[in-house]
Amino acid sequence: MSTLQFLADGFAVAFQWQNLLFAFVGVIIGTAVGVLPGIGPMSGVALLIPVTATLTSGLPTEAAAASSIILLAGVYYGAMYGGSTTSILLNTPGESSSVVTTLDGYQMAKQGRAGSALSIAAIGSFCAGIVSLLGLVLLAKPLSSIALKFGPAEYFSLMLLGLAAVSGLAGRSITKALIMTVLGLMLGTVGIDAVSGIERFTFGQPMLFSGIEFLTIAVGLFALGEVFKTILEKDDDDGQIAKINRILPTKQDLKDSAIPIARGSFLGFFIGVLPGAGATLASFFSYITEKKFSKTPEKFGQGHIAGVAGPESANNAASGGAMIPLLTLGIPGSGTTAILMGALIMYNIQPGPLLFDEHPEVAWGLIASMFIGNLMLLILNMPLVRVFAKVIETPKKYLLPIIIAISFFGVYAVQYTTFDLYLLLACGVLGYLFAKNDYPVAPLVLALVLGPMIENNMRRALTISNGDFSIFVTKPLSLVFLIVAVSWLLVPIFMKMRGKNVLINEEA
Amino acid sequence: MSQTFDKMTSIVLFIIGILFIAQATQISDSAYGSAVGPKTFPLALGIVLVLLSLRLFYETWRQAVKARLAKGPETPSKTSSIEIKKFLLLFVSALAYVFFLEIVGYVITTFIFLLIGFQTMERGKIISSVIISVAFSVGIYYLFSVILGGSLPSFPTF
Repeated sequence: MSTLQFLADGFAVAFQWQNLLFAFVGVIIGTAVGVLPGIGPMSGVALLIPVTATLTSGLPTEAAAASSIILLAGVYYGAMYGGSTTSILLNTPGESSSVVTTLDGYQMAKQGRAGSALSIAAIGSFCAGIVSLLGLVLLAKPLSSIALKFGPAEYFSLMLLGLAAVSGLAGRSITKALIMTVLGLMLGTVGIDAVSGIERFTFGQPMLFSGIEFLTIAVGLFALGEVFKTILEKDDDDGQIAKINRILPTKQDLKDSAIPIARGSFLGFFIGVLPGAGATLASFFSYITEKKFSKTPEKFGQGHIAGVAGPESANNAASGGAMIPLLTLGIPGSGTTAILMGALIMYNIQPGPLLFDEHPEVAWGLIASMFIGNLMLLILNMPLVRVFAKVIETPKKYLLPIIIAISFFGVYAVQYTTFDLYLLLACGVLGYLFAKNDYPVAPLVLALVLGPMIENNMRRALTISNGDFSIFVTKPLSLVFLIVAVSWLLVPIFMKMRGKNVLINEEA
Repeated sequence: MSQTFDKMTSIVLFIIGILFIAQATQISDSAYGSAVGPKTFPLALGIVLVLLSLRLFYETWRQAVKARLAKGPETPSKTSSIEIKKFLLLFVSALAYVFFLEIVGYVITTFIFLLIGFQTMERGKIISSVIISVAFSVGIYYLFSVILGGSLPSFPTF
């Protein structure tokens, strides 16, 4: 069957009424998550996994997986749309990926052009979403057929590359990022070993036999961690919400933003495909690029429409691009995609090259639903932007306890033990402490998801080679992956050293 | 503040790493005597963690020396005692919530937890707090248990 045929089947799945509803709910919640400064896409998605799991519990496994991943992905890219709203209206980014949008977006809002900034952001996000989806459709088949030729040694090295990339780009200290990665891998070894059936690190506790549930860790570290942070670090940013006068952009605005949107889309897409570099980096790069290419770079920071159009397109394109390594290789490149992967694994569906053959319903259904979801977001965001702006005013008083209650409910509904709830609370405190002291949390979750697969592939490779570790460097592809992984960790260190030298030189 | 945390973490991680290695060597070898059994990977992880914790300790120590040379005052913590009190109250009530969940049932515990939570965050508006707590706890229970057929500890078992 051709790609088009698969895509058509995907649309058939996506147009089932419950999936339309799931996509709709997903993008609405996603937009709300994007608007609310306390909750990022990662905790939003993590919180909703248990909710979707219960919502879809009546469906057959594959359909349930398709429906819930449609909803969760909707939250993910919906958050990218929503993040721009607060940046523009309040000067407080809802997500880290919308930080640069504040530079010009808020200035535009001050000049009474909030409406056109918001609608350009929505249009840009939509175009970028479509570009990245087309990329996904075109690359899905070829990439997964390449990945099918990978043996366990290649997979092992590729996953190490994924971990290295995320650790190398996360946070200020590589040591801390690596520590978090190793901790995640360690947590992944708890439970009954899948190969030999021997129990490891369970201390005879039956609740540890099945391993530490990834969901509990993710919800605790991200969602509860952020809640605790908001409680403990009070920030009085009761800024004035800018008024929205007209929603449709002027012709001049449209003309000025067409090229930045196109550039941002492609740039964001390619950055998104790279593991480790996510939406935030994409938006920063796009802003810098726009400033460089602009004829009037001095206007940036004073309400230039290109400074909104480019980054907003880029962060959305990056979130689409990040789906590619997840779906085709089975390797998430960011914290949020790691959580999406965990969700798929919960349904016993392994993302990776076989996904498109074994579960075309899930893979293509998701892709098709992302087309629909992006369209929904565009339609929703234009007229409803005023309504979403109201969401910002949700008092924290009600929001925070309810988030705690939802995460408790979610984890308990999936796990049925209070042990996991205590673990959840502990993870919340740890998540807060880690984030406060610059220990990036995303690598830990990624490592927890990838850990068992890394170990299994390592052992399979070593069984093939009779215990000879050189198999990882004698296979050419595996060697390439390992070299890239190592350089991903070392290059930032070198750059830092050079940066220091430059600084010293300037001083002297 | 952050440096003491880093120092503490590096020591804790070092101990965890050693314990992890010790535990890993206790894991029995796999039956079919393959070269890489279930203990190889955890053993490697333990060693890497120990090395990383040493590196973190070294980095923190170097930073501390640098900070002392620069005589930079420690950045004062932003968190005031009111926020810590709020957090502790919320945290303790969350613990109590978990503890009583299976004894008293979902609806009542959730209601009480939310009410305490709302009032801890900000005093006042009792009526709307009560309404939201009731709506949430009953709504979730009804949706999940009655409509979707999931199982939650419903009401007191006694």
